[in-house]
Amino acid sequence: MSFDVFRDVAKPIVSGFGITARRLKADKVTVQYPEERREQFPRTRWRHVLTRYDSGLERCIGCSLCAGACPAKCIYVEAAENTDEARFSPGERYSHRYEINMLRCIFCGYCQDACPTGAIVLRQDFELANYEREDFIYTKEMLLEPIR
Amino acid sequence: MAAAVSTETVNITVNDIELVVPKGELVVEAVKRLGLEIPIFCYHPRLKPVGMCRMCLVEVGFKQPDGTVRKMPKPQAGCTLPVSEGMAVYTDTDAVKRDRKGVLEFLLANHPLDCPICDRGGECPLQNNTLAYGPSTSRFVEMKRHLPKAYPLSQYVTLDLERCIQCGRCVRFTEEISGDSQLAFRFRGASMQPSTFQLTDFESKFSGNVIEICPVGALTSAKYRFRARPWDLQTSPGICTVTPCGTNIWFDHRSGKFVRVNGRTNEGVNEEWTCDRTKFGHDFYNAADRLATPFRRDGEAFNAASWSEASQAVLAAFADGGEGVAVLVSPTLSNESLFMTQRLVRDTFKTNNIDFRPSGGLAWSERLENKYGLDPVGGTIADLEHAGSILVFGASLADEQPMTFLRVRKAWFSHGARVVVAHEVATEADSFADVVLRYNPGSAAVVAAGLRQLLAKVEGKFTPEHVESVSGVPADKLRAAAASLGENGAVVTTRRLAKPAAEILAVAAHETGRTFLHMGPHANTEGAAALGALPDTLPGGVKAETAGLDTKGILDAAAAGKLKALWLVGVDAFSLGDRDLVSRALENVETLVVTDYRPTESAEYASWLLPLALPAEQDGTYTSSERRVQHMGAILQAPGEARAQWQVAQELAARSGAAPVFSTSEVRSLIDSVAPDYASLTMAKVIDGGELLPRRGQSPHDLEKLAQTLGGL
Repeated sequence: MSFDVFRDVAKPIVSGFGITARRLKADKVTVQYPEERREQFPRTRWRHVLTRYDSGLERCIGCSLCAGACPAKCIYVEAAENTDEARFSPGERYSHRYEINMLRCIFCGYCQDACPTGAIVLRQDFELANYEREDFIYTKEMLLEPIR
Repeated sequence: MAAAVSTETVNITVNDIELVVPKGELVVEAVKRLGLEIPIFCYHPRLKPVGMCRMCLVEVGFKQPDGTVRKMPKPQAGCTLPVSEGMAVYTDTDAVKRDRKGVLEFLLANHPLDCPICDRGGECPLQNNTLAYGPSTSRFVEMKRHLPKAYPLSQYVTLDLERCIQCGRCVRFTEEISGDSQLAFRFRGASMQPSTFQLTDFESKFSGNVIEICPVGALTSAKYRFRARPWDLQTSPGICTVTPCGTNIWFDHRSGKFVRVNGRTNEGVNEEWTCDRTKFGHDFYNAADRLATPFRRDGEAFNAASWSEASQAVLAAFADGGEGVAVLVSPTLSNESLFMTQRLVRDTFKTNNIDFRPSGGLAWSERLENKYGLDPVGGTIADLEHAGSILVFGASLADEQPMTFLRVRKAWFSHGARVVVAHEVATEADSFADVVLRYNPGSAAVVAAGLRQLLAKVEGKFTPEHVESVSGVPADKLRAAAASLGENGAVVTTRRLAKPAAEILAVAAHETGRTFLHMGPHANTEGAAALGALPDTLPGGVKAETAGLDTKGILDAAAAGKLKALWLVGVDAFSLGDRDLVSRALENVETLVVTDYRPTESAEYASWLLPLALPAEQDGTYTSSERRVQHMGAILQAPGEARAQWQVAQELAARSGAAPVFSTSEVRSLIDSVAPDYASLTMAKVIDGGELLPRRGQSPHDLEKLAQTLGGL
């Protein structure tokens, strides 16, 4: 009886603490978020960004291929035509409206794959929490990279 | 329907599968019988083959007496090769696959790969064929040719020359189908370009079709430019309500907003074509000033009100109004809306003052079906194709009845029909007419009488010489026209033609055994007439006991202050002519109710302004000018509280004690109970391609009354 108690109760507890004790020597894996942040892998897929060319012109041409590729149907694109007075992108066409519903997005990165100009990319900003549902609709202004 | 004719057939094999096909059928069509497909660009089933793109290359051989197949040394173009006895066609050998890859590589050598910004991207035959049959990479490293992009060919069509693959579909369309021959090829060889002559505007009433048949994005719609991509759009089957033809269309919409119209195949009506009014004339769905709630006039201002208040106010002004109230309705409303409105007017308003015609409509006893027992629409658009001769009288068909025009032209182009055109002014149909009779304005009836005398071989005063003296049509031309029209055929005219001429033509058509088509000008003119939106006709064409006022009478009575209340349903009174009379009429009416989708000029006079749901925003059926009843479901959502007219009418009726009606199918069963023509329709057929109302049949009587009409000329 007493042998059974030792084998089934006391021994696992002691050996369990043993594992903990051995790990004490190793480096810590937890980080003190939000004071410190873990470095993201280079190809992490988080928040979308609409990138620009070095000239400052938008890469996005409003082709809607991202919306077509999106399995969650969370992208809405409306295109318009560039004029010489109001030029947004190099060619004939630019995206007049570009919206992503972040509540629907599954961060699969298909939009990035589909994009013929490399305009939409998924970058490393993962802090996407918000208070209002409406705030999860990311507009073109929010997505567009600032001019460097 | 043509009688069954024995067709000569030949035995061929396609990929070693034996097949019996009609002799002379093109290889590209024959393989479709097996469910196979030969990729094509320049070939179009409704156009003559030219073999310009070489995409349809197949291997062809012939069975030898020893059973082996001896192949031709070179691949053959399937679109120009008719089948013949013993032919063996191979559509998927290695050689054919290699040939297709080669052709596509050449086509793509100069085709810019700007698919992401091309409006055709996603529904492009070049993309699809390249994906299915093309090489995965190109070996061309040279510069592609550079040509003008986005060149405006007309206000509707944009030409991108870089994308053109010189298939010639657009050029052949304007030559073979629309007949305006506006497009042609400039230059030769690699620098060949489709363009208008002298680089003028592409002025055609059917220009939108070239956008749809272009196999690449060379011809695109200026209105749809960059508006959406095909995968963004939802597509619903619809009916055009801006022309009287009942053209079948695909209604493309995005996020509840109308985007574009494409042709939908209906062999009986439009084949697959659309006219520009149909293709580009539906923008009113997106009008910025659409009404979304009822409005009440308070002094100078309009204030939003509820439907409940509006219904009460309208009922207070109209109920039991008798001779003191009147309603004008639009002949573009659905059958259901027109029927419910006339029922409301007769049962609740207790008056017959309802009309849909602009002015000067015929009284019950003056209409062809009642006066002579002749069917005013005695044939269909499709019938015209096989009419031996066609007389187009007093109508600019391309403007008024675009799909009838295309069918008349097809009858001439494909079946050799002789066409005679008689009109005051030049029309598109003149270009292929055997004889053109240009008469002086106002002398249409005399020309009609002269033609009748020659065709029906009757005696009378309208000899060609007499006709010449009155109408200016040379006597020889009239005789030539009669000779050209021969013994049978069809007579096509429209309701715009004044009464005596149409009457004479109808009788002449009856006397000579011709089909007579007297076509109405709006999407539902036939429905409005058949369902009683007339002052002297009840649903089913029954004569009303006491006739109410017609449009002219209503406006006159209103101007004289005799009308207490007037309701305009989808009608801008100022479009009815005589602006002075209309403005006096609208000013002198105590209560003016205007129902429309946007504020019209008449709305400025309104006491109440009610929002109207447009045809694609409600379920409804429409009776086209050939009396084909077709159905369109609710495709879009009406803005705000806008309602279909049948709903408004039923609410008013229900408020005054009638049994409520909850759906359009209930309205249709009400229609069936009073209009036997409509009762014979099957809803499944109405939805699938439309069903023709039964022909009234000829029961001619009182034909001698024509002498009276002729005597009056």
